[in-house]
Amino acid sequence: MVITAVSGHHVLQTASDGVSQMTAGPVQTEQQNPQWEQALALVAVKRDKQAFSDLFAHFAPRLRAFGLRMFGNEQQAMEMVQDTLLNVWNKAALFDPSRGCATTWIYTIARNVRFDMLRKKQQRKDEISADDLWPDGEHPDIEGEHSQQWDLLLIAEKLAPHFAALPPAQRVVVEKIYLEELSHQQVAELLGIPLGTVKSRLRLALERLREALNESER
Amino acid sequence: MSQNVNHHPSISLLELYCDGSLTSEVALLVATHLEFCPHCQQLKADIETDQAWQFTQQPAESVVSNDDWLQMLNNITSSDTPRQPSLRPADSVISVGDYQFRLPRNLQHLAARRSKWLNVGGIASCRLPSGEPHHLSLLLIDKNTEVPLHTHQGLEMTLVLSGEIVDESGRYVPGDLIINTPEHTHKPRNVSSEPCLCLSVLSAPLHFKEGLTRWLNPLQRFFY
Repeated sequence: MVITAVSGHHVLQTASDGVSQMTAGPVQTEQQNPQWEQALALVAVKRDKQAFSDLFAHFAPRLRAFGLRMFGNEQQAMEMVQDTLLNVWNKAALFDPSRGCATTWIYTIARNVRFDMLRKKQQRKDEISADDLWPDGEHPDIEGEHSQQWDLLLIAEKLAPHFAALPPAQRVVVEKIYLEELSHQQVAELLGIPLGTVKSRLRLALERLREALNESER
Repeated sequence: MSQNVNHHPSISLLELYCDGSLTSEVALLVATHLEFCPHCQQLKADIETDQAWQFTQQPAESVVSNDDWLQMLNNITSSDTPRQPSLRPADSVISVGDYQFRLPRNLQHLAARRSKWLNVGGIASCRLPSGEPHHLSLLLIDKNTEVPLHTHQGLEMTLVLSGEIVDESGRYVPGDLIINTPEHTHKPRNVSSEPCLCLSVLSAPLHFKEGLTRWLNPLQRFFY
């Protein structure tokens, strides 16, 4: 129902060039595979070393690449890898698949480890730690909160000019869903990204549009 | 009476929070906002999902030898006792004079290490541990009290924790995030019959010039 209102030529035009960029590359599907969630469950339940070494083999080199980018040196990068994976080994029971995929969980651990490493390097041990900034456990349940109001917002023609400013990865998701009427699942398959990522990008794009709209009305 | 959070961090600010690159005092304000705001909690989860996806897209080839990896793997799996989380002291409720406030969980450890309250005519403040260029403090504005007109040489960020305040641009309830630069002179007042507790970050002028404004200036308009 939203579609007719948004399909002004302006939107179509600006949205199309991002699409070719995004779909040109090789399709990436690994995250849709639940194997890492299962491996974490095995580590949590019986400290399964085989499952952990599978996780290790996949994530250690990626964590190292991430650490190198963040720290710019091998030693600290490897320290971050070891600390992160040690946390994965010890805290697997805290992973809650209903709140996100294994990759996201491991990424946030690496972020926290990195934050605390930087803090210690600056000798700020006694101050704000990653535990204060990203506490374990989660906020109250918040699913499915405001999708309707977004549909209404999208109808507004004045959103069109802001479309071009969206990050391409988010823009293409909005375009597929609102202009081409694909389902979230179809978009995930088409772009080779996990379903959760499709939903995330859609929400982020809509939030950006809302921000842009507020801004232009001010 | 509606108590909905109305003043949010922008997406750009949330992104910096999620990738861990915000100054820790500012990150703490964002983290505390999240304790009040389901809307931004969802955005945070979305941003983390997206950042994690980018993280997996990195080239995974490695120049580290298999032996080194194997040794790390063995180090980890042979460290068989999970580290006991060290119990940090925490205050879930704090008292200021006759008032008591329940604190959001992410402030409870820091609050246990607060300094003494200083009192000046209806306004009380105490410092929380923070790094030198920044002042992180709890600020109590008593009922029917006006904060004297002030100019901050640096950046001032305030998060309402309890009660409410108003200034020239609006009304702020728990969870609302207020950002002011030196160009703003404002006169926050508590016109309600309840005390108002805030978390406040003040940055030193020097740091402000080189660091924070670079990313805050474009966002300023979203905050009034």
